[in-house]
Amino acid sequence: MKFLMGIGEGFREIRAHKFRSFLTMLGVVLGVASLLAMFALTEGIATGYREVMSQMGGLERVKVRVEPVPAHQESIRELSPGRTYKDALALRMNAPLLSWVSPELDLYLAVRRGDKAETFEVIGIEEDYLHTERHNLEYGRFLTDIDRRDHNRVCVIGRGVIERLWEDPEAVPLGESVRIGNEFFRIVGIFQRYESERDKKKRELRAKEAPPAQGPGAKTGKRSRWSTFRFKNDVVVVPITTFTTVFKNTKQAGTPDEGAELKLDDLNVQVADLNMFEEALAQIRQILMVTHRGIEDFSVETRQEMFDEMNAAMRNLHMSFGIIAGISLLVGGIGIMNIMLASISERIREIGIRRAVGARSGDIFGQIVIESTVLAALGGVAGLGAALLLMKLLVAISPVQNRPVVHMSAVIMSLTFAVGVGVLAGLYPAWRAAKLSPIEALRYE
Amino acid sequence: MSLIELRDVRKIYRLGEIEIRALDGVSLEIHEGEYAAIVGPSGSGKSTLMHILGCLDRVTEGYVRIDDVDVSRAGGDRLARTRNEKIGFVFQSFNLLPRLNVLENVELPLVYSGVSRAERRSRALEAVGAVGLSDRTHNKPNQLSGGQCQRVAIARALVNNPRIILADEPTGALDSKTGRTILDLFRELSQRGHTVALVTHDANVAAEARRQIVIRDGKIV
Repeated sequence: MKFLMGIGEGFREIRAHKFRSFLTMLGVVLGVASLLAMFALTEGIATGYREVMSQMGGLERVKVRVEPVPAHQESIRELSPGRTYKDALALRMNAPLLSWVSPELDLYLAVRRGDKAETFEVIGIEEDYLHTERHNLEYGRFLTDIDRRDHNRVCVIGRGVIERLWEDPEAVPLGESVRIGNEFFRIVGIFQRYESERDKKKRELRAKEAPPAQGPGAKTGKRSRWSTFRFKNDVVVVPITTFTTVFKNTKQAGTPDEGAELKLDDLNVQVADLNMFEEALAQIRQILMVTHRGIEDFSVETRQEMFDEMNAAMRNLHMSFGIIAGISLLVGGIGIMNIMLASISERIREIGIRRAVGARSGDIFGQIVIESTVLAALGGVAGLGAALLLMKLLVAISPVQNRPVVHMSAVIMSLTFAVGVGVLAGLYPAWRAAKLSPIEALRYE
Repeated sequence: MSLIELRDVRKIYRLGEIEIRALDGVSLEIHEGEYAAIVGPSGSGKSTLMHILGCLDRVTEGYVRIDDVDVSRAGGDRLARTRNEKIGFVFQSFNLLPRLNVLENVELPLVYSGVSRAERRSRALEAVGAVGLSDRTHNKPNQLSGGQCQRVAIARALVNNPRIILADEPTGALDSKTGRTILDLFRELSQRGHTVALVTHDANVAAEARRQIVIRDGKIV
């Protein structure tokens, strides 16, 4: 009851000094606005990061790498056949903790369509590739075991290939043929376009303004930027069997003899259950130790470290932005304290009157704290509005930035901070008001 | 048993080396229903006595009992409760809160005794009616005349049904005609059974009361 009265008093005080209260609140408004905008912006950046991470195959993707033979096994190095196609078969048959095993061969080859030619990464793959790389097919079909069995000259291409070799980046050239190296391949499928939110917006903006520039000039500019998405878009995949028959000889020319077994350029697997991650890694190692006859010329590379680093970077970003926003909120709090001090010295007589009719010093204390909290809370709510405006403004000025993401938790946290600042800022003035002696307060002119 | 009892009360202020004996051994009893005036020239200690009676200040030495509470040994919150429940103050300068309207001013003591909103309202209306200001309940103090302000203050003093009404120079800020009406109001309250203690330096005002307590140099004479 008294609490509600206190809130009412708080509003009455604010109404009585509108301009002063507005100026005081401004500090909190800006503090909360910057705090919330900071939360939303870093969350937007984090979302962008997570997009990239997930496009790269997520944490489940594990790569088997070729390593130099350790020194103590140097004399028996010939025993190991290296990372071969048989490794893939062995893993697929014997590692139940893996859901997909993707052996890959690759070459950078000229891809021609009419008089246009561009170099792309051409990968010989099996069906598992679709899953380990998290590809999505937009048109047509993916490569099948029949393609593999019959060594079919078919390929699935990424959107990046179309963007560079076709006039219309949105073309759907299913059934058309392209020349890869010296052989013609029929396009049977097209992957979707992979892009970040930010690139998507950029592209949409460009599409609105002018038709996208084509030709070699525009390409170089586009290609110069590294991005996970570009690697994923600029890709041509063919059946691994076709790859060996058509291209492998080309590859072997001028490279060391690789022995009888088909050596792989890449071997990626996907762990079925992240809770069994370590066990899955052990399983991979065990099986490969057998196929490599005990020679440790391989390693298992995980994304763990990379993910940890990204997360740490996000945490740091949060922290440093948070501290900056916190400081501005603190400044707002000092403003409130200042005004509350001014307000009580102008209301000493009122405090005396209240004491005379029976207010305990605790009642006075509570009243001042509630008033300052009401002030800060109002500022906080206004700050929320200001933050939303601020973010709209940011998006309007720079539409390709990562879209700010406002979480409810960030809103609650910002408001809590504002209220907390109000309470803290009220404590000292409240203590000063509460310890006034009633007589002196009454006599005060 | 008397309503108020003071025994050998001393109040000593120290200003550096100088010792000021504002009250120097005051013993006093006020009974239920009495109308007493505390008179004395300025500097005689009557304001200090008033503060002690009103539980606004503590004695240096001695014993003070109000109703059944030993206020000479009570803590701050106990004093506040005693002020709230047993004492109604009327000040020379009215001491109304300028931002509250008449009714809210009168309700103020009830806020601190935790009375519900509805009951506050009805009791405040009753008190405002008793001082004849029922038609001004929603005015702010600055829209009222001095006499009306003092009536509001009296209503505020009455609203919690205190055992005693303490008035400190209640007519000091008013012209003599208005002062007259306020004094009439006090007499009426006294006749209705309220205990009233009135502090004044004005012998004419003091003459209103049935009992005169004269104080000089911190002593009752």
